[in-house]
This record gives sequence, structure tokens and C-alpha cells, in this order.
Amino acid sequence: MTVKTAEILLVDDNPADRDLTIEALSQSLWPSNVSTAIDGADAMTFLRREGKYNKATRPNLVLLDLNLPRKDGRSVLAEMKSNAALRRIPVVIFSTSQAPLDVERCYDLGANSYVSKPSTLQDWMTAVKLLKEFWIGCACLPREEN
Amino acid sequence: MEKPQLRVLLVEDNPNDRDLILRELTKGEFEITSEVAQTAEEFRLRVKTNCPDVVLADYNLGQWRGTEALDILREEGLDIPLILVSGVLGDVTAVECIKRGVTDYVLKDSLARLSVALRGALKDKRTREERQRAQESLAQKVEELARSNRDLEQFAYVASHDLQEPLRMVAAYTQLLGDRYRGKLDDQADKYIGYAVDGAARMQSLIQDLLAFSRVGRQQTELKNTDCNVIVSQAIRDLQAAIAESVAVINCEPLPSVQANESQLKQVFQNLIGNAIKFRGPETPVIHVSAQRQDSVWLFTVADNGIGISPEYAENIFTIFTRLHTRTEYPGNGIGLAICKKIIERHGGKIESLPREGGGSIFRFTLPAARIAEGQESG
Repeated sequence: MTVKTAEILLVDDNPADRDLTIEALSQSLWPSNVSTAIDGADAMTFLRREGKYNKATRPNLVLLDLNLPRKDGRSVLAEMKSNAALRRIPVVIFSTSQAPLDVERCYDLGANSYVSKPSTLQDWMTAVKLLKEFWIGCACLPREEN
Repeated sequence: MEKPQLRVLLVEDNPNDRDLILRELTKGEFEITSEVAQTAEEFRLRVKTNCPDVVLADYNLGQWRGTEALDILREEGLDIPLILVSGVLGDVTAVECIKRGVTDYVLKDSLARLSVALRGALKDKRTREERQRAQESLAQKVEELARSNRDLEQFAYVASHDLQEPLRMVAAYTQLLGDRYRGKLDDQADKYIGYAVDGAARMQSLIQDLLAFSRVGRQQTELKNTDCNVIVSQAIRDLQAAIAESVAVINCEPLPSVQANESQLKQVFQNLIGNAIKFRGPETPVIHVSAQRQDSVWLFTVADNGIGISPEYAENIFTIFTRLHTRTEYPGNGIGLAICKKIIERHGGKIESLPREGGGSIFRFTLPAARIAEGQESG
């Protein structure tokens, strides 16, 4: 059986956090290809395959930070979930915020899960690995619409 | 030397008496400016617009009485001394007038006493004003203090909250460096990276604790009728792992219900019982929880047979980040008792520690006894 390479879009403005997450994603056995967006507007351009991203593949999973410059994660989430072509893509919020209001707001907007960024390296690695195992290795994903 | 200015409002319907009084006044130590009022309406208007230093009023004014002038001063919220100047005033009436708030009274046949009465009235007024000013300034200081406390809470919260993210980067990457390059540089490098990793981890835990501490001040303390028996059993359940590991015995007497914030009160019991287990001696930890009614408060006691606290540290231990042992002896940042103190004080109580006879410590705290909880005291 051949395992398809999963496409993951990571949206985070902090390069250190991006690298840490990429590192953690690479530790899982499931093959994946990670693209990055550095803010909300960049993420929407990528998802809509506009401009320099016209050859981009639709991701199977989006890891989305909340506090982003230009367009914040909440707006990206809201736009994705109200767009017929994007709304089925699972979005996992990955943010420093643990504020109940943020968590609830994101679920209201249709987030598929909310993970707060752990404070230690080990917990970070574990959290990212677990969510990749679940969303790529375990969950049934929608058919790809290309 | 120039005489001090004094504005007098004279309430007198008899022109002859008016002249007599004014003549007497000019003999005194004051530079007098005077006005006259005859009716109550006129009086009200003049005190309001001109705000005299003192009112001299006849007792019997035909249509009204000098004591009614007093009522008018009250109604207008004016603190102006009123001296009755009267032809005759029986002892009983005089006492009655003083009781109602007349500052002094002078009989018309002994007007020489007027200047003494004036001096006394002005001195009284000055004292009242000073007291008033002192009270106002005290109230202002209390408000300033409360505000600066609030600012400090806010500062601690924001600072510790915003420090978390950059600190997480330092912690994660020094650890990644350590994991990735251990044994590949040299021994010194491994050691230095180890220090950096430890330091960052410790700072993370300090910030977490600081946040927890400042959160106690930021939360609204919503008081509900709370059964302490339930609260203590919840605290014990949360400490299950530590209790099992240490085979601690916890004896809990029936406890009252009090007005409290449940989660905060649980935290207090959890910290105190947790400390009793953590700072245990060589023997099996035995912890005793009880409460006694003392007048208007409940006095709670958590006693243990642990290592105890030297009396000289008994007060210190409630200060944030105070530790009496090295981290290798007993881990922790010294936050637990500081949080207990803050919670108890926010509930209007006090907390203290005492040495226990025969070794160990006693922690005692008070909480106001709630009247509505009376029926269910020993639930």
C-alpha cells in the first residue's frame, strides 16, 4: 500500500515556532509536505492559489496561529469556513492563548480543534506529533477537490 | 498688627440691640464686616450668597426663633458657627439650644463675653475643618493605594503573561541544542547548555506561579455558601497521588459552612495539606483538620507532625517566593502559602503558622462566620 504524502499548511508569524513545529511534524512516520504562511493574508493567498501560490496544492490540514499580523487567525478561520471550496479542510488552532473566550470563539467559527502551544519542548513535540497522527493517520478526510 | 477679618451675619429684629452688639464687636480683636437679616427667607439668602464666618442670632425673633436659623444652616449644608445673643435665656432652654447644635450663647446684659464666645466658635470651626481635611486626605490616600495595588496586579499579570512567549523560545531552543549537540561539542558546552536549560525551565515555572498568584487578585471573589467538608474532601482527592505515596493519614473533624469562593478555598486546603505531606518528617505524616467557632469567625486549623518551621521564619513564609530549603531538598518556588494568604485576606480572614508541641506545624486561618450558614454548621 502506498501512503500518500499529506499536505500541511502551517500559518505562524514566529519563525522559531514554525521551525519547532516543522521539526515536530518531521518526527512522525506519516509522510508529509509542509508549506508555511507568515500571516493571515499570506495564508488566504495560498489557500486561494493566487499570485505566487498559483501552483499550490490544497492542504489536507491547516495549523493556524491566532495572533497574526495583517489578517489574524480568527479572520482566516472565518473566511475558510464560509468558503465552499475551503470549509472542509480541517483547521487546528495552534496558539499561545488559553483564554476561554478565544477557545470558544474558534469553535463557534468552526475550528476542528484547538491546541494551546505547550511551554516545554517535550510537550510541544508530543502535541504536534499527536495531532498529526490523528488528523493524517487516523481521521477520515474529505475527498480532494481539485 | 492688622486685625483678622471676620464676616458676621446678625439676625436681630431690634435696631437698638443691633447697634449695641455691633459696637461691642468693634471693640474686639476682629476687623468686622457685618450684615443683618431679619426674616428666615432673608437669612437663608444671605448665608447662601455671602457665607459668613459666624452667625449671631437673637433667640426670640417675633416671627421665628434663632434656633430655626440653625435648621436652615443644616438644610443648606453650611458649617457656620451660630451664637445666640439673647435678652433672657433660661438654663433649660440654653442647654436645649446647645444640644441642638448652637455653638454658644451670650446674654445681652453681658455682651463683654461676646468676643470670648466668638474666639471659641472660630476655634471649634477650625478644628472641625482640619478633621474634615484629614479625613478627606486619608480617604484619598486609601483610594490611591487601592489604585496602585490594582495597577501592580495588572502589571504583574501583563508582564508575566507577555514574558511567556519569548521565554518559551529560549527554553525550547536551548533544550533542542542540548538534545541535538550533547557530546558533540565539549564537556564545558554541555554544562553551559545545561545551565541555560535549567534557568529557562525555572523561570517558566516562576512565571506560571506569578500568574497564578496575580490571578487570585484579578478574579472576582464571588462568595457562596460553601460546605468545607465537601471542599476538604475535594482537596484530598486532588492530592491522592501524594497521599498514597507518603501513606499520609488525614483526620478531618466536621467542618462548618462558610461564605467563600469554592475553588479558592479548595486551593487553600490543598496547599496546606499538600505542604504538610511535602514537609513530612521521618514518621508517617498525620494531618489533622478542624474548625472552632470564635465569636464572629471560624478558626480553621491544619496541624501536622512534619519537620516544622523555626519561629523566626513563621511570618516570612507567607511572602511570595520565600523558601526555607534548597531546591534539591524540597522542590517548589515558595508560592503556595503566599496564595493562601492572599485568598484568606480577600475573604476577610487572617492566616498564621505556629509550632506544634511535640514537633510539626500548625496553620490557622479565620473566615467570617456567615449568619445564613448557621443552620448547617456541622454538615
